[in-house]
Amino acid sequence: MFWTLVKLMSTDMSRSSTSVAFRSTLKRDLLIAFKKKNDIANPFMFFIIVVSLFPIAITPDGDRLAEIAAGVVWISVLLASMLSMDNLYRSDYEDGSLEQLLLSPHPLFFMVLSKNISHWLVSGLPVVVAAPLLAYMLSLPQEAYLTLIASLLIGTPILSLIGSIAVALTVGLGSRGLILAVITLPMSVPVLIFGTLAVEASVGVGSPAGYLALMLAMLAASLSLAPLASAAALRISIS
Amino acid sequence: MWLWFSKLGSPKWFYELSGKWLPWLVGAMIISMTVAVVWALLYLPPDYQQGYTSRILVVHVAVAGTSLAFFPLMAVAGTITLVWKMKLADMVAKNAAALGAWFSFITLATGSLWGSVMWGTWWEWTDARLVSMLFQFFLLLGVVSLRSALEDPDKAAKACALLSIVGCINVVIIKYSVEWWNVLHQPSSPLSVNSDSPNGPEFWIATIIMVLAVYLFLSISLILATRNEILQRERRAQWVQELVRNS
Repeated sequence: MFWTLVKLMSTDMSRSSTSVAFRSTLKRDLLIAFKKKNDIANPFMFFIIVVSLFPIAITPDGDRLAEIAAGVVWISVLLASMLSMDNLYRSDYEDGSLEQLLLSPHPLFFMVLSKNISHWLVSGLPVVVAAPLLAYMLSLPQEAYLTLIASLLIGTPILSLIGSIAVALTVGLGSRGLILAVITLPMSVPVLIFGTLAVEASVGVGSPAGYLALMLAMLAASLSLAPLASAAALRISIS
Repeated sequence: MWLWFSKLGSPKWFYELSGKWLPWLVGAMIISMTVAVVWALLYLPPDYQQGYTSRILVVHVAVAGTSLAFFPLMAVAGTITLVWKMKLADMVAKNAAALGAWFSFITLATGSLWGSVMWGTWWEWTDARLVSMLFQFFLLLGVVSLRSALEDPDKAAKACALLSIVGCINVVIIKYSVEWWNVLHQPSSPLSVNSDSPNGPEFWIATIIMVLAVYLFLSISLILATRNEILQRERRAQWVQELVRNS
């Protein structure tokens, strides 16, 4: 989708070189992520462990778990995505490549977007893939699986895009795990609301389509606005 | 108009002007606050449904309405900080965040005091206004903690300005999503009767005076805090040193 978006805009030379920069940033970030497998594995493991804590703490009873399954999966996704955000700009900030990115002639919007996309591919997508398995463990009714995957597929990029703003604002700080949580978690409330509502609607009467459409609208809004805020935040942090 | 605008950015000018305003504002605040508090808490006739508990609402409505003004205020101040790099706007924004958190907290506290009598519960997740106020409180605390985490004041000013603008948009989105959440989740909300209950004109006049008093209180607190901030940040300026020497 973004490839076509970039290609559409690449009418002249400068634009096309932006698309090259976009692609090479994406490729570089993915390469780094796959070299440091811990960064991929840890949020994923965290997600699975948090989900499996709920039945132990609340109840092993399948019927009662089914009621809270959607919320449990969504909250765990939220926490895992927030923890993995910490890596988004930090290593680049420490080795100075973030400054190079800011100095480059390409619009920072696309560079930030490319970083967010690679972050989502590495931390969001595995969670979406694992979600049905965990939903099964929480005995979520089967008719809700498709909606759960769809809502996570739409919702996790929004979480990455929103979290990126807070990470960019705090990139220069030494210890910032908690402040990141204080800033991003309240902002993620709308995603959480509609994500869980969609899953609940697909279990009971009603259709999840409306909620998913609202989430798509939020995705469209955050795709176009959040990178702007992240780029501005990066320029503030590195000045 | 632009001369006025650029003058407003000068801390010294603001300090002198606000010094002239303060006695009038404080006087107006004391009068309206006394009238509103005495009237609302001692003389307001009991509501036919709510009894004397409705008197809490006078305070609650005024504080709640005022606390909604903080994010727009901070977003406007933040825009001015980012665009015109006006020092004064940031000084106001800095104190507005902490004050806003307090106002949100008082709103929640008075609301649940009232709710504990009228609804029989201190907290009710099905009421959209409660939940969205709670998250506004959290967002304001986020701005405050970002400010204290960043050491460089210039960087902190810009970062908090950006977060205020993002937060202002977010508060609106959260408000509507929480409302839809409730409307769609539980179609019949028996809790919404309180705002439409037939109250006499005394109730509304008392509330309006209280709103005025609370807004004056807010402006005075903000001005006093900003004046302190000015003195501290401009402590090397000549006029501040003269001021301190003469006092």
